Amino acid sequence: MNTSVTSIKLVLLGEAAVGKSSIVLRFVSNDFAENKEPTIGAAFLTQRVTINEHTVKFEIWDTAGQERFASLAPMYYRNAQAALVVYDVTKPQSFIKARHWVKELHEQASKDIIIALVGNKIDMLQEGGERKVAREEGEKLAEEKGLLFFETSAKTGENVNDVFLGIGEKIPLKTAEEQNSASNERESNNQRVDLNAANDGTSANSACSC
Amino acid sequence: MLSPERRPSMAERRPSFFSFTQNPSPLVVPHLAGIEDPLPATTPDKVDVLIAGTGMVESVLAAALAWQGSNVLHIDKNDYYGDTSATLTVDQIKRWVNEVNEGSVSCYKNAKLYVSTLIGSGKYSSRDFGIDLSPKILFAKSDLLSILIKSRVHQYLEFQSLSNFHTYENDCFEKLTNTKQEIFTDQNLPLMTKRNLMKFIKFVLNWEAQTEIWQPYAERTMSDFLGEKFKLEKPQVFELIFSIGLCYDLNVKVPEALQRIRRYLTSFDVYGPFPALCSKYGGPGELSQGFCRSAAVGGATYKLNEKLVSFNPTTKVATFQDGSKVEVSEKVIISPTQAPKDSKHVPQQQYQVHRLTCIVENPCTEWFNEGESAAMVVFPPGSLKSGNKEVVQAFILGAGSEICPEGTIVWYLSTTEQGPRAEMDIDAALEAMEMALLRESSSGLENDEEIVQLTGNGHTIVNSVKLGQSFKEYVPRERLQFLFKLYYTQYTSTPPFGVVNSSFFDVNQDLEKKYIPGASDNGVIYTTMPSAEISYDEVVTAAKVLYEKIVGSDDDFFDLDFEDEDEIQASGVANAEQFENAIDDDDDVNMEGSGEFVGEMEI
Repeated sequence: MNTSVTSIKLVLLGEAAVGKSSIVLRFVSNDFAENKEPTIGAAFLTQRVTINEHTVKFEIWDTAGQERFASLAPMYYRNAQAALVVYDVTKPQSFIKARHWVKELHEQASKDIIIALVGNKIDMLQEGGERKVAREEGEKLAEEKGLLFFETSAKTGENVNDVFLGIGEKIPLKTAEEQNSASNERESNNQRVDLNAANDGTSANSACSC
Repeated sequence: MLSPERRPSMAERRPSFFSFTQNPSPLVVPHLAGIEDPLPATTPDKVDVLIAGTGMVESVLAAALAWQGSNVLHIDKNDYYGDTSATLTVDQIKRWVNEVNEGSVSCYKNAKLYVSTLIGSGKYSSRDFGIDLSPKILFAKSDLLSILIKSRVHQYLEFQSLSNFHTYENDCFEKLTNTKQEIFTDQNLPLMTKRNLMKFIKFVLNWEAQTEIWQPYAERTMSDFLGEKFKLEKPQVFELIFSIGLCYDLNVKVPEALQRIRRYLTSFDVYGPFPALCSKYGGPGELSQGFCRSAAVGGATYKLNEKLVSFNPTTKVATFQDGSKVEVSEKVIISPTQAPKDSKHVPQQQYQVHRLTCIVENPCTEWFNEGESAAMVVFPPGSLKSGNKEVVQAFILGAGSEICPEGTIVWYLSTTEQGPRAEMDIDAALEAMEMALLRESSSGLENDEEIVQLTGNGHTIVNSVKLGQSFKEYVPRERLQFLFKLYYTQYTSTPPFGVVNSSFFDVNQDLEKKYIPGASDNGVIYTTMPSAEISYDEVVTAAKVLYEKIVGSDDDFFDLDFEDEDEIQASGVANAEQFENAIDDDDDVNMEGSGEFVGEMEI
């Protein structure tokens, strides 16, 4: 059977130091049975997972610090199919900020973006840290805004995979046939040029000499 | 001269997270900002380089410096990225026009704006449109494209092909005969003309080495050269100079025109049967965002809504409007539009670029190649009823480029004519485009069901009686529905040039040595405003010149080495190193006072 691959652009949002990047690193470095070696470039982290016989390739964009001074670019949000809005369960300020990011996403991103609200650092609770954001508060906000909700620990890995699996399951996945026909239809409308697919010098020369 | 030792790049300075995994051969990957240690919540106290303005040149420079290992703070007084290269919504344009006309945006004048009520309170919203302040096209073989690949910034972007370059002549838009094959098959060209064209094309691809052919004409005009040396006539001469070379007037010199014509020809068939690309969602505004993101990943700090107030070269402290300060150990780079109050060193901006941007409610797909959403239309000298001496260039973008909704189209018109004649030329070009579109629209007889009948086997038969009646009653249709018109004059210190020359970007070299008491910008370096150049060629040259001033050499400009699993697995993928530079700018700038630069750098 043909396994289809769906690419998902996923963006991270949240206050600095809530551990949003750590969640991603935990996800991409975990020893998932089906996972391939994660790929890193200057652009984004990528990681593939298999969900119900479909392969989902996450393209995970980190803010690179541009969120600190309200300086994210429109390109960050564009065409994102999923977003993680992360807060720290021991810091109520980060939960207030998470509300702002959810609002920002609804204004800037596409309407059908799938948003997961993630309360991170639950490992701190076992180490004597005091919970400042009740689980019920997170659940309530998620229910109000139609978000997925998870509480995680990037440190221990608890629930990290569930976040991405939950998003993957919610993304409508196409069968191989549907994907082929959809991409054909898209290509005929708007051809996209792949900058990595240049003709090399030899064929260029032969074309000239025709 | 003594080249300062290159600082270890960011990738070398800090080990990647994956160095600690069990991977036996860790990938050579850069440190991703914010991944390992949370970034500070305040702006840095001290940086190597401060850059004000997030236009194309400043953004490419920021990325090059960040990946080279410099500590960069990159700010913009606007609340959006792009500055002079920005892609703006209609509401942002409205605000921008007000700022231009009240004088708070320098280097722009005479902004006039019409917005239909259909935008905002009608069927379209402000965010449906992305309007470029300095629209540009990307040649397939060019410095910037090489850098986009090398830096991986292209992965943030989407590109589409641009095939159609039209020449306006005798009230028609003639499509270029681009290829040798098209020249051979063009029924309208005499055989002798075809031979002469083929001869010229063979020459121009290797023109520098054939000095005996062009050197006697080096100081003469290209039209003389083409007419006398290759026996080409006016239509071919105009196409080569203005539609292929994208030159501005008939005074263009031979070496400059040859360089530009070759740029087009060598860009053909690199990615397909077209010479140029356009980025979706906006042109320079998108690319600026991409390079800014790359710089941020490489460690640069970004802050919008941050306005520079002054820089003191003695204490090396820059002060911002919100009261914060930063010590800048090496250089302060400022876009002229971001010059602080009481600045005295902004270079003179003596050249004008006149621009008109229109949004038309009409899909206008006749001008595009199949599957494309972009086209160039060129109005050569003398082709307009205004008697234009300079070219008017029209860059057309449709809905497929995602900068405007379905059923609408954006026309970017520009000219290098100076003074009041410029607006006359642009108005004449706009009228010509409007009339051409109306003529093409009215030829759709198939839409009139009373005239057209279908026979049993599906063939179309025009009802001759109805047709006659219809023509008698023919009344010209209403004029086009314009949703938006924006006219402005942009000033620049860069003259309309034939070939990008790095010396154009050294305008403030002498100024750096002067100290003016009370000036808020002593000791800074200014970048240049965009010129009329429709390609990105000037961007890389300008960024390299600045990079060399800061670092001391441009040898490691975007000297990056990312490994990518997909890239390794793919077979036959071109390496960025294989791309030739379309514009030869290997000559280093003459570094007068280079000893002074070395002394100033704390490396």
